[in-house]
Amino acid sequence: MSTPVVFDAATRVYPGSTTPAVDSLDLEVRAGEFLVLVGPSGCGKSTSLRMLAGLEDVTSGAIRIGERDVTHLRPKDRDIAMVFQSYALYPHLTVGENMGFALKIAGLSKAEITARVTDAAKVLDLEPYLDRKPKALSGGQRQRVAMGRAIVREPQVFLMDEPLSNLDAKLRVSTRTQIAALQRRLGITTVYVTHDQVEAMTMGDRVAVLKDGILQQVAAPLELYDKPANAFVAGFIGSPAMNLGTFRVEDGAAVIGEARVPLPRTATAALTESEVVLGFRPEALEMVAGYAPDAFAVEVLVAEELGSEAFLYGTLEGASLRDPQLVAKVAPRSVPPKGSRVHFRILPDRMHVFSPATGEALPTA
Amino acid sequence: MTTVISAGPGHEPGPARRGRVRRLLDRHWYAWAMVLPTVLVLGVLVLYPLFQGIYQSFTDLNETNNRDLICTQTLGGGEDCVPNPDRAQFVGLDNYVDLLTGERGHFWLLLVNTVVWTGACVFFHYTIGLGLAVLLNRTFRGRSLYRVLLIVPWAVPAFVSAFAWKFLFNPRFGLINSLLSNVGIDPVDWFNHRWTSMFAAIVTNVWLGVPFMMVAILGGLQSIPADLYEAAEMDGATPWQRFRHVTLPGLRPVSSTVILLGTIWTFNMFPIIFFVTGGEPAGETEILVTGAFRAAFEGLRNYSLAATYGVLILSMLVVYAAMYRRVLRSKGEVW
Ligand SMILES: Nc1ncnc2c1ncn2[C@@H]1O[C@H](COP(=O)(O)OP(=O)(O)OP(=O)(O)O)[C@@H](O)[C@H]1O
Ligand SMILES: [Mg+2]
Repeated sequence: MSTPVVFDAATRVYPGSTTPAVDSLDLEVRAGEFLVLVGPSGCGKSTSLRMLAGLEDVTSGAIRIGERDVTHLRPKDRDIAMVFQSYALYPHLTVGENMGFALKIAGLSKAEITARVTDAAKVLDLEPYLDRKPKALSGGQRQRVAMGRAIVREPQVFLMDEPLSNLDAKLRVSTRTQIAALQRRLGITTVYVTHDQVEAMTMGDRVAVLKDGILQQVAAPLELYDKPANAFVAGFIGSPAMNLGTFRVEDGAAVIGEARVPLPRTATAALTESEVVLGFRPEALEMVAGYAPDAFAVEVLVAEELGSEAFLYGTLEGASLRDPQLVAKVAPRSVPPKGSRVHFRILPDRMHVFSPATGEALPTA
Repeated sequence: MTTVISAGPGHEPGPARRGRVRRLLDRHWYAWAMVLPTVLVLGVLVLYPLFQGIYQSFTDLNETNNRDLICTQTLGGGEDCVPNPDRAQFVGLDNYVDLLTGERGHFWLLLVNTVVWTGACVFFHYTIGLGLAVLLNRTFRGRSLYRVLLIVPWAVPAFVSAFAWKFLFNPRFGLINSLLSNVGIDPVDWFNHRWTSMFAAIVTNVWLGVPFMMVAILGGLQSIPADLYEAAEMDGATPWQRFRHVTLPGLRPVSSTVILLGTIWTFNMFPIIFFVTGGEPAGETEILVTGAFRAAFEGLRNYSLAATYGVLILSMLVVYAAMYRRVLRSKGEVW
């Protein structure tokens, strides 16, 4: 019953602009899947979504919903529903009328509309508010009305553009689980746009990372975390972010300060320069007590003790990182004091190696 | 007078009230001082003439009896003044009775004219203004040029436009009649019939009033969030349904204001009727304000009758505005 969506080299160039906002996007959203589009501001997430919605022309390429080529169909003929970031509720209609508007336009009977709206209101806990105007609702309630307006239509595809960005942090967390649960239950193919990588990781079946209009990687959240396809994805996914730095290569080992960190042979073989980009997540660092050939010294700037875990922020001596600070996850409740000097080594199988020229991940095994 | 119901211990009305006024003055004297000039100016410029006018409508004041004193020059160069024996008298409701029964003037004819005039003008102002605003709200080449051109009628002084249109409607030399005869229609003697004459005045005023409506509505259109249109589009609404369900409701705050303003302005729009029809034929196209003007400044200047017109106009507009507000309230508009 649910429908796949395919972007086939879909490109959008805004009039008056020379670079495409979305550059030949090839993406398949599987039937019933919750796909999250994530990326930094201005990377073309909204544009991709609006192309699928039919609100933005496709300059070249095609978009298919199920078997149908919808590239040049009008929005109303695509059988999709969209939740806007601003919710875009009709201010002069009540909550019930807002949710039933599309059904009324589609010419459904009054009884049918009432039944469907009541069902949706029940699912979303909106029953007490059906006769209110949107003005008289809280932000979270408005958000649910916007969701309700989408689900009453029982469309083939849901589109959501940052639907949680107007909520406060706590409500955002609870709403995001509700949306994810609702989507699983309805089983309707969903494309969800966010710039928040935590939302992406927690909600999506798969996550597509965009940068400058170009798709970087599509994968399940954990795969994205464990096997980033390039340095951008590596740095974008994960919080705190992965440590990334460019280091000199000598005799098949990266020089980090006084340490020599051996690189996997497959990686050095693929390397064309005498430098390498290394990435290692905070939890891929291990504190070592004494001297080790692959351990480097770090001066502790800040220690963040969270009770169940702790993070050290420090500067790497004798080398430079992209982000001047290095983050390490350490055992809680025994954190070295600020200003102290500690040694870390990178767990060998948790190291990511990227080409300094292209940023692509190099094979490590 | 003898029993004072005390609200409770320590709540004697007299001193307590005086204390409160005193406290208000003490605490807010600065604010009072700041509003005083405005209050004075408004009092002199608005309230005094208003009450003066209301008072005059209850007298028989006209140009023969408007002096309280009659003064004669004496030989020594001084003046000798005696009270005017014929000075204006208080006559109660006589002016109102005379006007409303048609004893003097043509109040009901003028009222019908005024209502037709106001209704037609405001209707066309609003609909044409709305149409143009919707057209100009799209992006197309030369949009700013059109916007400027459409504001021109507004920039021309009203009486200049009035004379220009009067000439266009001129039965013998006017452009409109020559156009009519070109397409084979008999020329119309515009100012010789009540409704053709009124029609000419209405066309003139529509031409003058559309720019204001257009600009106001254009502002209203631009305040409607674009994503409402997109949401309606996703919901499957046709362009007409989007206009009905997004544009019109979104314009409601602006529309309700400009329609009220437009009604009041048009109701009291003096120069167009005065210069275009001049009441032709034979006073059949006068409206209330021009009637009031003629009472005050033509023939025997009858100030009290003019004041009576004024009070009647004011009270009708006040009632209208109050009803209008109530209707809007009942539709849930905060106003
Ligand atoms: N109407 C437009 N005309 C011209 N350029 C546009 C238009 N809308 C967006 N762009 C450009 O297209 C690019 C992608 O915009 P888009 O709105 O898709 O970004 P986004 O990923 O949704 O960002 P955000 O997270 O800030 O919402 C941006 O560089 C933006 O400047
Ligand atoms: Mg966006």
